[in-house]
Amino acid sequence: MIELSAGNLRVPKLSRKVFLVGAGMTDFRKFYPAKQSVELCLEAMKMAVQGLGISPRDFQKKVNYVVLPHFADHFGDQLLAEPKIVDGLGLDPIGNVGVKTGGATGGTGAQIAIMAIASGYASCVPVIGWERMDEVNTRQGNAYIASAACKDFEANLGWSYTTYYALMMCRYLFENHPNRETLAKIAQKNHHYARFSPFSQLPGDYTIEEILNAKVVSDPLTFLECCVMSVGAVALIFCDEETAYRLSDHPVEVIGMGAGSHTLRTADRRDMPILLLPNETEETYKDRKGEWPGFTSFLAARFAARQAYLMAGITDPVEELDVAETHDAFTVSDIQTYEDVGFRPYGHGAEFVESGDAYLGGRLPTNLSGGLLGSMHAVGATGLFQLAELFWQLRGEWDKIHGDENLWRRFEKIKPADWVSLQVPNARRGMAISHAGTGSHVTCSILERR
Amino acid sequence: MPVRVLMSPAAFLSGGEIMTTKKSRQKVTLLPGQRAVLVEKLFGQFVSENLIVRENPREITHYHSYGRLSTFFRALTEGALMGTRCSNSECRHTGIWLPPRVYCPDCWKRMYWIVIDTSDVKVYTHSMTNFPGAGFMLTTPCPLISVVIPEVCTKFMSYLSEFAPGEPYVGMPVKPVFRTKKPTYTILDVSWVPRD
Repeated sequence: MIELSAGNLRVPKLSRKVFLVGAGMTDFRKFYPAKQSVELCLEAMKMAVQGLGISPRDFQKKVNYVVLPHFADHFGDQLLAEPKIVDGLGLDPIGNVGVKTGGATGGTGAQIAIMAIASGYASCVPVIGWERMDEVNTRQGNAYIASAACKDFEANLGWSYTTYYALMMCRYLFENHPNRETLAKIAQKNHHYARFSPFSQLPGDYTIEEILNAKVVSDPLTFLECCVMSVGAVALIFCDEETAYRLSDHPVEVIGMGAGSHTLRTADRRDMPILLLPNETEETYKDRKGEWPGFTSFLAARFAARQAYLMAGITDPVEELDVAETHDAFTVSDIQTYEDVGFRPYGHGAEFVESGDAYLGGRLPTNLSGGLLGSMHAVGATGLFQLAELFWQLRGEWDKIHGDENLWRRFEKIKPADWVSLQVPNARRGMAISHAGTGSHVTCSILERR
Repeated sequence: MPVRVLMSPAAFLSGGEIMTTKKSRQKVTLLPGQRAVLVEKLFGQFVSENLIVRENPREITHYHSYGRLSTFFRALTEGALMGTRCSNSECRHTGIWLPPRVYCPDCWKRMYWIVIDTSDVKVYTHSMTNFPGAGFMLTTPCPLISVVIPEVCTKFMSYLSEFAPGEPYVGMPVKPVFRTKKPTYTILDVSWVPRD
């Protein structure tokens, strides 16, 4: 659809308040044969419930709906895995639903839980997301992921999402001329921040030269500019207001959410007028040439962000948000997303990095979690991972979780001697962008401390 | 050989004694050729001895129909690139769809087939892939491209089957070539070469 009407652009609203009260996760590994998916999900859920200070049995008594984001049945090789997770957590016969929207599966799963509570259907909903990506080798894994591309017209052309994003990157560089190094800085930043997280899979301090000189997967994307492939699980607990305050003194409220979609094939994205955000006007793009969204932008991300901003009353995201988590599957998709969600106007995403805004200490620190490049991309869990990291930031608990020596030991890791806090001082509002395919589904969720 | 068995309650009550024959039972066994292979190394690292990691090999054939899009794939084998256009004169969006669509996504009316004029096609974007996923049927390095075609409202994805250093580049004129002999009946039956 390239002509949007009032009905399409309706601003969503929740019929009653919804809160995030708990979060837990496993560490993330390239392969994790020591634990089955049910074990990983239980361990993530257990951590979230321990944070509430109640017993598993007392938690089970409150649950009245369950959401299970999990993307790739063929990866885990278990169709209808959801009942195994629900059974493993002792939550049957509670109603539950599996969710899959590609890379946005976690974000969508969280939003399904939020909607279930806002509608009054449920009052306490755990969301447990996971992915098992180690049953095949990496080459087959890339093909499994690429089977989410159009099987008739795209999948055979690479069997790799890196190629599909590399096509976008080439066009982005051609149209917008950012310094190539700026994209590498995104990888450098996120791998670096991953060093301070016991959960992370690929932490490291790399020079820009090392990133640019790493093996080229699909020109111009190098290995260090591509997300990891992970095994792991994340659990969140959403509640209505009454339950939230019974379980927590300071829950985090959902103040904005939106979801967008676009063609599965990048090829099919027809030229259309730019959908403006609250911080933009026609004047913003009066001199802009070229098509939109083309290969350089994601309509789904812009649509989702617009809904969430209008719902939350946000008119200037960089000023009014304190911390953000974006879906940095590739360096180029991250810079594209900065523009889609209005951190900078189209064509100027590089400024968000070069200005220092994206770093801790900047105006809107982004992916302090280490993101998908440095920490994890266990697809069904990824959107939940972002919200869990925001949850701890907004409650001022980042150090308590990430600095916990026991957690580092439990994950068989050594806490770095130069470990530093990545807590954003007095963080009040955070936003997470969960993204699928080459932008086929995107969710935007905004949380605020209470 | 007859064997004595315990009497059933009915036989006991009737004061009789019953005789029966031993049942011949059919066995269920593993099919021939079944064998278990345990994995010792995963992703280059040894698996802990207390874990069982088993190979689950499989060979599966799917039967995929292109449905009404078969017209497109058959045309490739005959040396033509075909797209579709909306048949509804009131539909506001009349660009050519490539990949083709059977129904117009804007008005839901049937589309009609046309042969696409490829005399002025240029590279819109490109990427040289070195590490494709499993199942990739072409040699590497392989330059993947998207092309821009006049009157076509989309950017068709394909590959360059002949290239020199510095190729492809954005704006490069290209022309299609078709795999009319030994076609794959996939999108790989069309590729592009430099127009010069």
